Formats: sequence, C-alpha cells, structure tokens
Amino acid sequence: MMYEYFKNLESSLEKKINETPKSPNARKKYSLEVARIGKRLYSGKDKIAWTGIGVPFDILNTMGITSCFVEFVGAMLASTGASGNFIKEAENTGYASDSCSYHRAILGALSQNLIPKPDFLVGTTLPCSGGLAVIENMARKFKKSLFVLNVPQEDSLQNIKYLSDQLKDLVNFIQKETGINFDENKLKEGIKKTNKARDLMIEAYNLAKKIPSPVDSRILKDFGIVTALMLGTDAGIEVAKAYRDEFQAKVNSGESGVKGEKIRLLWIQNRIQFRYQLEKWMEEEFSASIVIDELNDITWEKIDVDDPFTGIAKRIISIPFNGKAEKRIEHLKFLAKEYKIQGAINPCNWGCRQGTGERGLISDGLKEIGVPVVNLEIDCIDQRNFAEGQVKTRIAAFIEMISN
Amino acid sequence: MLTNKLVGFTCSYTPLPLIHAAGYAPYRLFPLDNSKDSAGHILHDNLCPHVKKILDRGIDNNTPEMSGVVFMNSCDAMRRLFDGWRKARPNDKAILIDFPATSDDSAINFFALELSRLWKELWEWNGRVGDLSSIKQSISIYNDLYSLFSDVTSKIRKARLKDGNLKIQELYNKASTEPPENIIPILKNLQASINSALDNDSNSVPIFLFGNVLYELDAFKLFNDCGAFICDDDLCTGSRLFYPINITEEEDLFLSLSKSIFSRSFCARTFDPKYPLKFAEDILNKAKACNAKGVIAHVLKFCDPYLIRLPIVREILKENSLPLLVLEGDCTLRSIGQQKTRIEAFIEMLR
Repeated sequence: MMYEYFKNLESSLEKKINETPKSPNARKKYSLEVARIGKRLYSGKDKIAWTGIGVPFDILNTMGITSCFVEFVGAMLASTGASGNFIKEAENTGYASDSCSYHRAILGALSQNLIPKPDFLVGTTLPCSGGLAVIENMARKFKKSLFVLNVPQEDSLQNIKYLSDQLKDLVNFIQKETGINFDENKLKEGIKKTNKARDLMIEAYNLAKKIPSPVDSRILKDFGIVTALMLGTDAGIEVAKAYRDEFQAKVNSGESGVKGEKIRLLWIQNRIQFRYQLEKWMEEEFSASIVIDELNDITWEKIDVDDPFTGIAKRIISIPFNGKAEKRIEHLKFLAKEYKIQGAINPCNWGCRQGTGERGLISDGLKEIGVPVVNLEIDCIDQRNFAEGQVKTRIAAFIEMISN
Repeated sequence: MLTNKLVGFTCSYTPLPLIHAAGYAPYRLFPLDNSKDSAGHILHDNLCPHVKKILDRGIDNNTPEMSGVVFMNSCDAMRRLFDGWRKARPNDKAILIDFPATSDDSAINFFALELSRLWKELWEWNGRVGDLSSIKQSISIYNDLYSLFSDVTSKIRKARLKDGNLKIQELYNKASTEPPENIIPILKNLQASINSALDNDSNSVPIFLFGNVLYELDAFKLFNDCGAFICDDDLCTGSRLFYPINITEEEDLFLSLSKSIFSRSFCARTFDPKYPLKFAEDILNKAKACNAKGVIAHVLKFCDPYLIRLPIVREILKENSLPLLVLEGDCTLRSIGQQKTRIEAFIEMLR
C-alpha cells in the first residue's frame, strides 16, 4: 500500500516537472525526492535503516543505505490524514497520550505492522529522550541490531573526538550488519556533494532574507530537516540548486513570495503536518509571510573531505536543539535579526519537551531583542485536537499587535 | 569530611563521592510540595513535575544555602531543569554534566572525562585545588554507606518487618540531604537492633516497586495500609542511590567511578543497545528474585523514558503471570492518595 502510494506520487511529480522543464520547480523536486526515499523504504529491495534525527545521512547514503528518521513517518501519516487512527492505536496499546504525537503515530503504525523491517537501526540522544526510546522499542520489535550515537552537548575538542570516534564505530557496525564494505573514496565524494548542497542552501537562505522575500510561507516547510536525508547525494544538490535558482529568479524580477509582503514571521521548530491552510490564510488575510523556519539554517562549517568524521561530528553538535537552551535561543535571535522578522510563532507541539518544554525561555529570549512570540497549543500531528477558531483568533490578535 | 557546605543535586546518576571529596555535603533537591507553583512561566506544564517542583523551590528561594548545583544531562527534563535554574537563579553556580545513554566502553571513558571536568569545577567553586586522595576517602565512605544500606534493607525485607520500608525510605531521604558521616552511625545502630526495632508483618502481599521519584514517607505508609509489603525496589530515590564503587591502584579514579556508575541499576533512559528493552526483563528478574506476587510502577507524568517503555514491561510481566499496576504521579501526596482504591484493589486481587 505505502509502496504504491510513493510510486504514484513519484510518477505524478515527474510528470508535472516535465511539463515545465525550464522552471526550477523547487518544491516539486523536493517532494519528488521525498517520494523516492519513501518508495525505497517500502520497496523491500533496498537496505534500509530507521534512525533518530541527528544521524549523519551522508555516511549512510554513501554506503548505499536508505535511511530515515522515525519522526518522518509521523509527519507523513499526518499529511495523508491517517495519523489519528495510528495515534489511537498506540494509546490503546498503552502508550501515554502525554508523549509526543510524532512518536505515538509511529508506535501505532509499528503495532499494525505498517513499518518496513529495517536492516538495522541507529538512535541518537539528540534531540530527545522520547525519540531514542521509540528507536529502542523498534529494535526490540524487529529483532534488529541497534547502534546509538551519544551526542555531547558542547563543541569542545574532547566532545568532537568522542563523537567522531562513534561515527567510525557506526561505519564498522553498518559493515557488520549489512556486509557492505566501507569505501573511503565514496565517502569523500559524498562529502563533496554535502558541501556543494550546503553552499547552495546557504545561497538560497541568503536570498530568502531579502526584503521582500522571494519565499512564500509554504515553499520551505520542513525543508532543512528533510533535506538532511539527501546529504551526500546528487539529489541533495539538485534540490538545493532548484531552490537557489527559484529564489534567484524571483529576486531578479523583483517578485515577492507573498504579494505585498507586510509582516515577516519566524516559525519555531516543526510546522503543522496535517492538511490545513494556516499559512495561506495568513498570507491572504494579513500579507504575512513565514520567511524563516528555525530548522532552515546551516549551523556548520564546510566539512574537510580528508577528515570527514571530525567535520560531521562538529555538524551534529552544532544543531541548535543540542545541549543548553541558551544555545538554541542565541540561534533564534540570530535568525530573527538576519531575516528582519517582526514576530515568531511557536506551535508548541503537545508532548514535545523541546518546542513546548522550552517555550518560556524562548519567549523571554526573543523578547530581549524586541521580537514577540505567540505560543500556540497545537498538536502538529494529531488533527483531532485542532481548535481552528482558537488558533486563528490568537494569530489574528498577534499580527494585529505587531502591525501596530 | 564532615561539612556544612552544600552542593545541590537532582538526579541519582550524580557522582556523590566527588561532591563529598571536594569538601561539600551533597544535598538532594527533593521536589517538595511547599513552594509556590511558579515554574510554569519558565517551563511548560507538559514537563516532568519533578523538575518543575524543584524549579518552584529555586524560584521561591526555598532551598538552603548551596555553593552550587550539579545537574546531569540524563533526560530532556533534567536538561530543561538546568536551563530553568539558570534563568531563575542566574547568580548560582551550576554545571550540566553529560551522561551517555548507553553503557559501552567509549561511553564509560567519555563519562570519566566528564567526571574529571566536574571535579575541576567543584574545586573552582571552592576556590582551592583538589587533592585526588580525598576521592579515595570519600569512595570508601560511600562504599560503607552502600554496604550498610544493602545489609539493613535486606534484613528488614527478609524479616518482613512492619514499617520497615518506611524506615528505609526515611534513611534514604536523610542520606540524600545530609553528609554520609551522619547516616552511617544511624545505620549501624539499626543494623544491631533490627530484630527488636520493628514488628513482623506476615499478612501483607510482597510487591516489587520500581519507577523514578518516590520519596514521600506517606506514600510508603499508604502501601503498608493497603496491605502491600515492598520486598524490593528500583527507584531513583531508593536503592539506586548507592552502589559499590571498585577502585584499584592502577586505574584512573574517574574511570573507576564511571565504571561503577555504569554498573549500577539504571533508570529507563540508560540501556545496552545489544539488548533492547532489557530493562523489562531486568524488572521481571528483580520481581521474581524477591518473590513478589505483583509489581507496582510509580512513574511521573510526562516521563518519556518510562512511559514509552512501559507497554513492553507490561507485556513481559503478563507473559510471566506477574500483574502490574501503573501509578502516574505528580510529586504530590494528593496524587498518590487518589490511587488508594486502585492499590487496595490490586493487593486484594493478589491475595
């Protein structure tokens, strides 16, 4: 069923892209690659791995492993309108309704045997304790080997060495589990592609900073976190280039992403994953645009191809969710200034100890630089609890406040 | 080293002998229920009530004078507590120590480096330079404390002494907030007088109790009143507090301490990737070893490491015909009191 879904999605996107081959088709190319990853995960032919968010996908990609963080499944189920049933299933089997709905959705799908069996699993302590617990559950259910990356909180020589040594152990683990030999040259080639995609993404993000911004509120939804799955591949470069080209063309022609852009907003952490046109409504009602998402940024230096494990370790540690809240808040302040935003929206996904857990600290931190935050109470995955009227009222009042 | 200078801690993975060796008495910040409920403006309501109640204490200045606080990066909630504490009490000295989630060799070596970092920081708080020999002395004291607790607990539980678990918990609480030198003589006295100190209770039902934070004496009294006898426990505020620490002349002290901490019983957040959810089997084995007729899990609301692993624990116990009662707590006696009928019904069912 899932394989067919992704296969159909792939062919329909290919068809659409071929209709306008000269257009960058950024979002379509991004969606096409997501569909291809989904298809490979469900093909039954590829070597696959279920992982946590902080995993170095370029290492796995260059070793021929299709891999994906488990939260992606929760988001995918929500986007197809199916998450509610799986969340209910998880709760019926004893998983507390207070935990993250991304995780409950995948645990529900797991108990209904809708998650393909992986060749192995890789958990990470980043970003949350809940995600790692889900991966441990999955390893037990599938009776497959599990590797855990312990991500230290700070960027020190001691910590970078600890993590880069673990990355080397990860490579040995993958070799043992799959029989695939690690090829140093392939990783070097992969890292060159990672660096290329990084440069293109930086260009795209810099273009998004322009006033008016060439981005609308939807084009970069989930972009940073999902594009990580494509690192080390040509597809990653292709997608990043399409975004850069699309934004460049718009900037050149003076076209803004949102017509008559008046309000520039920062979205904190994850977007709403089920189908709901909140962004479109904000654009139409208030000419308000989400010009930057917290997760759409490059926080790491170019990786040295001759010392890839050190560079990848630095990249993982640099993720703003890692470690102390003050690091994350400094990053949000940086984005707020760079993108000249007027306000920030924190959806506060119920059950998330990061987005919701830190919300008071984030609000106070952004307030220090004069950026107000509206904290919503949205379950980004479970549509059953969505109070549309309440959310709209709060956002309307917030935008009115910052407009004045 | 008997001292009145306190260093706060909040998690049972905290290396207490190091704090002691640096010239402080480790002081556990229990989630007391007598501070204003004010942490909500810093940390959201969906965070662990343990950390929020500790933060309430911090905001309310409901703490003794402390030279600093050691936080362990053991779970999301503990990390958030560190963040919240820094916000509420920016002038306090505080350190966040990484604690790997797995117990392999590289994790043990890394944690040894973290312990060394903590050691330096503790002495900075003191304004002096530390002497490694003091660590050996403190480890020896904590090993005594462990042996005494182990012996006293085992005797009390073997003899099924009425109110014995109340006494044990009272001493665990005292040992969490006072220097070990104060507790050792009390344990020695109790050890000598154990048979006459308490009445035997042979009618109660043996229960294995596990979970995270449960330190209120009234909670243990409630278990007694409901007809349960705790024949063994695995709690952050109970048996997991003290463990044997093996040191040798050849090995680095921080490495020895790291190995010992990774050899003790874990809470749900620490595991061996080679045996996913072995945690569930460990609970089964501990319950069987103490001849429990049933198992009670006391888990705090919003504690992801436990809540996401509990369904598997339930499954394993069910396969082995051991009933499980899950109590969700919020660090108030009100919440445990509300569970009375459930506990009574559970015990009645096991008779």
